[in-house]
Amino acid sequence: MSAVESAGVVLGNEEQADLPVAHPSRPRRGPRSIAGRVLGTIVGLALLTFMVGPLLWLALRAFSQSWHYPDLLPSQWTLHWWRSVFADQTLGHSIRLSFEFAPIVTVASAVICLPAAYAFSRYRFPGRRVLLVSLFATNAFPKIGLYISMAGLFYSLHLMATFIGVVIVQMIGTIVFMTWIPSAAFSAVPRSLEEAARDVGAGPLRVFMRVTFPLAAPGILVAMILSFLASFDESQGTFLVGVPNYVTMPTEMYSLVLNYPEQAAAVFSILLALPSVVLMTLARKHIMGGRLAEGFQLR
Amino acid sequence: MIRFRASARRYGLRERIQGLVMVLPPVAVVAVFIGFPVGAAIAYTLGKVGGPNSVIAGLAQRQHVAPHGSVTTAAYREMLSNDHVRTDIWVTIWITLMTVAIVLVLSWGIALYARFSGGILARLLSALSVVPLFIPVVIASYAILVFYAADGFMRSVSYHLGYHSFPTLGYTLTAIVIGEIWVNVPFGVLMMSSGLNSVPDSLIDAARDSGARLPRIIRSIMLPMNVIPTVIVITFTAIYVLGSFTVPYLVGPTAPNMLGPSMQNFFQSFNQPQQAQVLAVIVFVLAIGFGTVYVWANVRAAKRSGVA
Amino acid sequence: MSAVTPTGLQIDRVSKELGGRTVVSDLELEVRAGELTCLLGPSGCGKTTTLRMIGGFLNADRGRILIDGADVSGLSPDRRPTAMVFQNYALWPHMTVYKNVAFGLKLRKLSKREIQERVEHILELVGLTHHVHSYPARISGGEQQRVALARALVLEPKVLLLDEPLSNLDAKLRVRVREEIREIQQRIGITTVFVTHDQDEALSISDRVAVMSGGKVEQYADARGLYREPATAFVAGFVGAMNFYPGTVVSGGVEIEGGVVVPCDDLSTTESGEWDIAVRPEDVTVSVEGDGAVADVVREVPRGHYKELVLRAGPNEIRAFVGPELPTGEHVRVAFARALLYRDGALHRTRSPALT
Repeated sequence: MSAVESAGVVLGNEEQADLPVAHPSRPRRGPRSIAGRVLGTIVGLALLTFMVGPLLWLALRAFSQSWHYPDLLPSQWTLHWWRSVFADQTLGHSIRLSFEFAPIVTVASAVICLPAAYAFSRYRFPGRRVLLVSLFATNAFPKIGLYISMAGLFYSLHLMATFIGVVIVQMIGTIVFMTWIPSAAFSAVPRSLEEAARDVGAGPLRVFMRVTFPLAAPGILVAMILSFLASFDESQGTFLVGVPNYVTMPTEMYSLVLNYPEQAAAVFSILLALPSVVLMTLARKHIMGGRLAEGFQLR
Repeated sequence: MIRFRASARRYGLRERIQGLVMVLPPVAVVAVFIGFPVGAAIAYTLGKVGGPNSVIAGLAQRQHVAPHGSVTTAAYREMLSNDHVRTDIWVTIWITLMTVAIVLVLSWGIALYARFSGGILARLLSALSVVPLFIPVVIASYAILVFYAADGFMRSVSYHLGYHSFPTLGYTLTAIVIGEIWVNVPFGVLMMSSGLNSVPDSLIDAARDSGARLPRIIRSIMLPMNVIPTVIVITFTAIYVLGSFTVPYLVGPTAPNMLGPSMQNFFQSFNQPQQAQVLAVIVFVLAIGFGTVYVWANVRAAKRSGVA
Repeated sequence: MSAVTPTGLQIDRVSKELGGRTVVSDLELEVRAGELTCLLGPSGCGKTTTLRMIGGFLNADRGRILIDGADVSGLSPDRRPTAMVFQNYALWPHMTVYKNVAFGLKLRKLSKREIQERVEHILELVGLTHHVHSYPARISGGEQQRVALARALVLEPKVLLLDEPLSNLDAKLRVRVREEIREIQQRIGITTVFVTHDQDEALSISDRVAVMSGGKVEQYADARGLYREPATAFVAGFVGAMNFYPGTVVSGGVEIEGGVVVPCDDLSTTESGEWDIAVRPEDVTVSVEGDGAVADVVREVPRGHYKELVLRAGPNEIRAFVGPELPTGEHVRVAFARALLYRDGALHRTRSPALT
């Protein structure tokens, strides 16, 4: 059946591993006319501006002392806003909180979800697909509505404005990442490798630790990074549940936008975006590895 | 022979139980903290104010309480006959459809460009179009607001180009669409790139060999072979935009706005949680509609290729 | 005298560099119209690159490609009168067999009726009429290969290109399918270039074979010519089994390492100097006594209708094919019925080849 697989036919087989395909070189196929190429370049540049422009613009604001319309650059530059943000107690506190919650939520989510991801991948049990879909489907209910109802639940469980309450709220946003993506990663490990390990005498746990897990590790890492960021960037739920005791950086943004000058908000934005950028840059090879479509298909 | 079969059956049962046990934790968390509140919310909209809903019901204004043992649709009737609410529903649907359409066009465009051009602009574009994934939605919304504001980039550049009355897009519905597109393009690009790259080069070469030019190749080969990733982009983007709050809240107008900020308004400003939950259920129903399309498309594709 | 327009395929000093490496170097080849030519060689020799250049999927850095006298070097694949059968068949999985074959015809805006006629005709030719509405996933590997062939042939190209089309089939099927391809090719009379690394395949169905190595054609000849008169040491060693010894010519034969003198009266040349001496195993005459070099029998391998002997004469290992009934003991006498002499990789011939 290998000829069929390499002919591009997906057989819906859970165990289909990615076959390495040597890409033959092919001639460049750009538009033939000069006009076509110029138009393509203009469109491309416009798209680039659309995607990256707002970020650069905001970043410049963080360093501007005064900047008047319609200048394209600040007329005076300063680091004053950076100092004031770092000096602010409330903002500093929220930065610390963000970095406390995110790792805890990620680890808790991993502990709860990874065994499930493995089970979704390797075990056949009734309701497997239904459960997998429903884990995702519950995200279809708008968060605000959910949090309103959850508020009632939290009040009765005395979880309102507590550390654990915020952890739970942030963790909910990570569950889909920590089940679907590692599940696809586990499925991508060829069974033949596990069988070979069993064949030479390794027990199931050892097979998992030495064969399955290392091979699935990149996918799991991506899931953990996305979960970390989902928790780190979570604003709505914390807004409703954590206030006033636990205000993380993103939640703080809501009031920053209203109560602080633009430049301070810009500085805070850069700080808030930094962990995202760093982590995603480290993991980009895996995220953009091109296997993403498989992770989202129902197998 | 008999021994083998018995142990195989035992293995099957053990595997099933083990599987169910292992998936229990996240399922339980979701059931308790999402499923249960969602169920309670739906019940609340139908007028059940007891039990889990009693706390919110205690704070609520203008509730519609159901007679004991039955439900009432009074809350729904109230909201659906409210002109502002109806406008917000249309706004939500309209913004969702616009975003999905434009995200689809951009994702396909960028993915096709990267697949067939390979030049430096193409690579730059496909790399940078994923950048929004790195940026928290709160920051993204704020950056967009500032970019299209009265003293923002768009207005400044057009001023220098001679056009002094470029509209201020801050706090408009257009800004919401721009923001939602911006936030959802990365997923679309990643999904379509993944889909397009999984079409082997040889299939494209074979089409060229038969005499096809690029538009024909896209129409006859790339498109039909990428229906599933396209459906994924449509449904995931739609579900996200339908229920979004942060983007419309930060960059949209006071009214009309999407159902997300509207919900929040009913809850926090008017103290009408029941009415807010009605809106939530409406969004949920719309989102489930899209989700069903996703499941149906996957099932159909699995059926087509799975039977060997 | 009027110039006759050349027919067939001409590759005129084509070169190609890929990734900094010269993959094809100054290649020249002339395939006659209606001929089936094989490009044979180890991986990395440039055969697939050459094929892709003929098809238009790669552009040559230097040189030209001519089909029936017309220079097609600048044309993209959709414009060239070539059709390729890909290694993994490249059938479009979302189209039926009919649609796969009809695709190119639809692009040429033929009428529906004419498309149907042509498709049905070609499917009958390859024996796939019963699968006309099946999807590629549902048919076997051999049948997929025939669909790919049909798809290429239905466009009536001037040159048919096949890129290792049999490598994905199992061994028995390979023999049958290659003969079917040969039969169809001869029936239609289409100029064909076939790439493979399997010499058995190449030698059995081609009119001529171009043995390639390092981006160049080592020799372009029919099977008999390649086997009996390999022009280079590479071809001598690549096609069939061959014994090689460094040595010199002496009276009555050759002297190889260890001072071993082996009688031989059919040498390709008798010039003096250092030579690489090549002898086919079947040209090693083994006798129990008589004049010949003394050799020990290391191993006997019966192979049905012949026997393979591994012999040792001094430091030299000699492989010989002999009749199955030849009685052998521990020692035998060895002579060479025929030897080819190579220097700097090329065959040197100063005596006309013995008629055999």
